[in-house]
Amino acid sequence: MMNTMKTLTKTLLSASVLAASLAGLSVAEESRVGLTLEIAGVAPSEGFVMIGLYDSETSWESGNAVAGTRAEVSGDQVVAVFDDLPAGRYGVKMYHDVNANGEMDTNLMGIPSEPFAFSNNARGRFGPPNWDAAVFEVATDGTIHAIRFE
Amino acid sequence: MTALSRRDALQLIAAAGGAAAALNAPAFARQGDPVFLDYQTAAANDPWTLIVRDAPAAGFDSQAELISGQVPDGFAGTLYRNGPGRFSRQDWRYRHWFDGDGFLQSWQIGADGVHHRGRFIETDKWQAEEAAGRFIVPALGSVPPQPGGLTGPDDMNVANTSVILLGDELLALWEGGSAWSIDPDTLVSQGARRWGNGLDGVPFSAHPKREPETGIVWNFGQDAPGARMILWKVAPDGRLLDAGLLNDVPGGMVHDFVITEHSLVFLVGSYRFDQMRLPFIESFGFDEDAPMVAIAVDKNDWSVRRTWELPPGFLFHFGGAWEEADGTIRLDAALSQDARFAMAGAYDVMRGQAETETDSQSRHMLVTLAPGGRSRIESLGAGYIEFPQIDPRLTGLRRNDTWHIAWDADQPRGATRIERRNLHTGAHDAFDHGPNVYVEEPLFIPAAPDAPEGQGWILHTALNANARRTELHVFNAGHLSDGPVASWQLGYACPFGFHGCWRSGGQV
Repeated sequence: MMNTMKTLTKTLLSASVLAASLAGLSVAEESRVGLTLEIAGVAPSEGFVMIGLYDSETSWESGNAVAGTRAEVSGDQVVAVFDDLPAGRYGVKMYHDVNANGEMDTNLMGIPSEPFAFSNNARGRFGPPNWDAAVFEVATDGTIHAIRFE
Repeated sequence: MTALSRRDALQLIAAAGGAAAALNAPAFARQGDPVFLDYQTAAANDPWTLIVRDAPAAGFDSQAELISGQVPDGFAGTLYRNGPGRFSRQDWRYRHWFDGDGFLQSWQIGADGVHHRGRFIETDKWQAEEAAGRFIVPALGSVPPQPGGLTGPDDMNVANTSVILLGDELLALWEGGSAWSIDPDTLVSQGARRWGNGLDGVPFSAHPKREPETGIVWNFGQDAPGARMILWKVAPDGRLLDAGLLNDVPGGMVHDFVITEHSLVFLVGSYRFDQMRLPFIESFGFDEDAPMVAIAVDKNDWSVRRTWELPPGFLFHFGGAWEEADGTIRLDAALSQDARFAMAGAYDVMRGQAETETDSQSRHMLVTLAPGGRSRIESLGAGYIEFPQIDPRLTGLRRNDTWHIAWDADQPRGATRIERRNLHTGAHDAFDHGPNVYVEEPLFIPAAPDAPEGQGWILHTALNANARRTELHVFNAGHLSDGPVASWQLGYACPFGFHGCWRSGGQV
């Protein structure tokens, strides 16, 4: 069963993509603005919020994050900051790694069993929302975007 | 309904956006919902439409009136029945019968008479929509105006199909997601049944089967897009014994299954998953070139299976099955040549209409699955049947009888008869309630745990459209044609249910 579960754990919010981003793949030299994510509705108060940032429909659809971070959970709100981003349009996919195993856990059928959310609090149907629903503008330094786990 | 894996679900995103955009809210507001209006028109003159009325949000509580006969000596217990009970909000109506929110009813029978109770199953969906005052969630066969999103199948779980007792727990069942836990005494919902072990939210279908010798409950859940199933093995007290995936199962809409002493047996009809669409039921189409596939899985080793190819067809329900010494499996079922009821009839009902052309044409068939891939399908009788039921003490074992509802081609509005048929001799016994009394699933209740096969009671509910009231009837299971032993009537009509179960004795 466990082997099957591993093969099922795929692309909605790929932990491996996030890990790659965390390893320092992304941030461009010419970045000019900072983005603060204010994340609410975090429960239970343990683990990490794993966050992937996307800068185009292509990166959104393919799951190739341009930046990623993880924020330790303490309380029901978490703040995450991305510095030195090129001004532009972004989307966020995130999940709450409650048991801190570095993966978004799923049930046997591959349905997520840890909380997840998207920028604009967009919700998909049977999967992530599309880029148009999740995209938001980061035009100025100090942009704050709020997301809530439902 | 079928579970959606994330992998497959990704494909739906584009389609979901399109479906949402296509529902133009201002246009709807201006003209009214045609399905809602059609139903209103039909309901104004036609009490048959009460089978798909909206139950009151607060439910029902009343003492039923005894209208004939008397309670058989010592006959006491509670009949639970589940089915869709809420179809419209804000003058907008579901398109498909199977979309309605689960409404659980109990009929508590004892020396003091019969007490009827009805409660909505407070699924996450029900609670969110009750609070909002409108439908939000895309349903199996309908997408409401301005729909919200989904994070998983349980967001759209209506728990509206069936109900079983598992230990001390009552579980309201759907087939695309979790079982919903209910207090059997108060009918108060206690939330989705949690199994742990990575199984939370995994589909637990609506027709579990209980081995009479051990009390072990077998069930399945389907992932049609993924062409696989999950198998469940649960102890009599509700403890999980085992669960695992069964791959390479054709993506048909599989509603029911049967067990034998050695096997779990599935018939995958020709109503097959095609591609992901919203509403989800439109992901399926009838493929008249696709054979019906029978799969028998070894209970003790799920990697061992036998398969058979049968002519194209479809079914919702089985009676039962048994396995002979040489491995031959015999089963009876309500088989149709197509899936017209799921694809059309269940839409007509929501408009308050019933047409011969879209009525279910399910016939009682005996299917033999022999060694070497050989198979045979034989008719057990003329006319249409549904909701086949058996003596539960013979689940998976050779037996004689099936009880079911029965109707003829000129009765698209529903069955008025209940029947018993002997699978070996063809002998049958029937009772017809007459015009405008539409019968529901007949449940067999043994007269005593050790009573001979078939000795017991048949309990069924019915809409008496003449009186605009729902009734409960008890028959001697071996003598249906004698008519009801006792009948009760409520002061109101309930929406039709689909399936029920029985708890012996006790007082609620």
